[in-house]
Amino acid sequence: MTKTPIDPRTTATTSGGVTRRDVLKTGAATAAGVTSFLYFPRSAAAAEPLRVLCWPGYEERDVIEQFEDTHKVKVEFKIYIGGEQMLQFFAQTRPGTFDAIISDAEYVTKLKAQGAIDEFPTDGFDQLANYHPKFLDFKPTMGTTEGSVYGIPTRFSFYGISYNTDEMSAEEAGDWHSLLLPKYAGRLGMFDWYLPNMGNASLAINPGNPAPYEISDDQLAQVRDFMMKLRPQIGMFGSSNQPIAQALLAGDIVASPTGDLDIDLKLAGYDNFSSTIPKQGGIRWQEVATVCKDSSKKDLAMEWVKYMTQPDVQSRLVYTKAFKARGPNMKIVEYWDDEQAALLSYVPDPDTPGKMLVETLIDRSMPRGLPANQPEQAWIDIYNEFKTA
Amino acid sequence: MKTPNDSPIKLLFLAPLVIWIGVMFLAPLLFLLWVGFWHIEAYRAVPGFSLTNYAEIFSSFFTGSRYGWALLQSLWVAGTTAILATAFAYATALALAFAVPPRLQRAALLFAIVPFWSSYVLRLYAWQTILSGNGVINSLLKQAGLSWKFEVIYTQIATRIGLVHYLAPILIVILYVSVLSIDRVLIEAARELGCTRWQVFTRLIFPLSRFGLLTAGSFAVIVSLGDALSGNLLGGGAGQSILGKLPTYASMIMSDYSSATNLPRTSALATILIVVMVAALVAGVALATAARRKVSQ
Repeated sequence: MTKTPIDPRTTATTSGGVTRRDVLKTGAATAAGVTSFLYFPRSAAAAEPLRVLCWPGYEERDVIEQFEDTHKVKVEFKIYIGGEQMLQFFAQTRPGTFDAIISDAEYVTKLKAQGAIDEFPTDGFDQLANYHPKFLDFKPTMGTTEGSVYGIPTRFSFYGISYNTDEMSAEEAGDWHSLLLPKYAGRLGMFDWYLPNMGNASLAINPGNPAPYEISDDQLAQVRDFMMKLRPQIGMFGSSNQPIAQALLAGDIVASPTGDLDIDLKLAGYDNFSSTIPKQGGIRWQEVATVCKDSSKKDLAMEWVKYMTQPDVQSRLVYTKAFKARGPNMKIVEYWDDEQAALLSYVPDPDTPGKMLVETLIDRSMPRGLPANQPEQAWIDIYNEFKTA
Repeated sequence: MKTPNDSPIKLLFLAPLVIWIGVMFLAPLLFLLWVGFWHIEAYRAVPGFSLTNYAEIFSSFFTGSRYGWALLQSLWVAGTTAILATAFAYATALALAFAVPPRLQRAALLFAIVPFWSSYVLRLYAWQTILSGNGVINSLLKQAGLSWKFEVIYTQIATRIGLVHYLAPILIVILYVSVLSIDRVLIEAARELGCTRWQVFTRLIFPLSRFGLLTAGSFAVIVSLGDALSGNLLGGGAGQSILGKLPTYASMIMSDYSSATNLPRTSALATILIVVMVAALVAGVALATAARRKVSQ
């Protein structure tokens, strides 16, 4: 599943003066009216449930039931679609409304900047021993002290190339530059968000760069050039997975740098779709579980974070009705049947003995981040220029 | 002696209108305009008065982000959509008013606006199924042995199809009411004085419909300018038109809004669109008023 963002939250007064939250509190009746629906009902507050702001999937009964039974507590979820929407929902609720947040890893930077979440030690997270090593660097969720973090990874997947195997070979899909071939002019679909697409372009010109968002101005100019060459190849932009998958099915496009669209298509009975991460590398999205600074139930929230690291829980989380993804706990495969394991690439990699295919893909992928050396707007301007070229 | 209109109680009756306009229109609009002058600090929107957002947007109006090209695309798509939708709705309204027996007109009008009862998004997905490369139309062409493909999906033609489908029921109602208000006696008199059907239409019905047509057209332009869904789902986000493969301005606002923590900049972008919409509305109202004045003379 691909993800998009939306807008900011303000809790504390900045040096500049009043924040948006203050404005909402002190008088913008309209805004208050519009946002009041986001508050949980008072009756729910009386029952002291754990409240979690999250992407879809975490609220499904199979995923949360065991936690509720063990801790004799109800967990309430507020679902968002997109990191910016998450920030907006958080901004529009009273401090302490949420106890925990599932955030895209790079949005932890924004949550930290707003003092929304607390760091916590990784001691006691026994399941981290079963995590793939790439998830243990905790970038960019590292805490301020040794051994502490702001978030623990719970779910991830890739922005590789999804393609129609009748139209594109596996070899072509293994190279970002194949997308520039004349035969694919107007036949590619793109997820409409600058961050993963420009991250992938960054890797296409700097293969294997472990920090594709920490690039120089010259490298950014090269990213722009690559994007401009790619523009004639793009037949459609999709604001979510669904329109792109639909276009792939209808034959309007033959490939998309939008991750693993093939999983849902294969489940629907279409075996002529596949996905991979090109040899230069691809962007990986990952969600992390965080604990809110203003929570009155931090201990319980921590228990929930620990719960989400369990392989059996992750095996259900990444195989929900909402969508399919992957889990960082490598023991996850023990809870699946062969078909599920094959579908999500937790099977031996024929080209790399001793490794699962998903491990090879993880090794080849880099976490999605935020532009580090230029303002976000500089990247967005290039993306807009690409889109309007 | 006081007339009922002089009664102070009339203020009470005006209250719902004032509250409605104030709370549902003016307050959000003013809030939007205000936020456009804010700025961002550490991913937070900070109140203030700065023209930076507008300066940045206009400095990249035709270079960089090229919002200006997107706005031109929107004006082109919205203008042509308004003409097509109004023409289609006018033809339907005329048929309802003059070709359908009076006792069946209400039922016929009901059928004409039935699409409005279904979800707009569902209708767009239905059109996607109809227009796509392997969709209903192309499957029928293939079955008929034709190798030619109807390739409009992910172009601004498809965007217009979605918009026309969305607008038509509303425009039909506006134009049906407009056509129905034409005095039948005038039409009968014209016919008895020797006018052909075409002359009756061009010299009587059309001039008397002009106010309704301009009202419907203005409405269609404003709705089309603000719509992003048809452009995204059917137009592919940056569909081809004679201006090139460009997104619509509303689509760019959505994209910007969902890309970065910058509500002030998005508000400034939205304000520019509102100014264009108001200009379209003012032009429409001016033309419609002139048309009404001409008719009443």
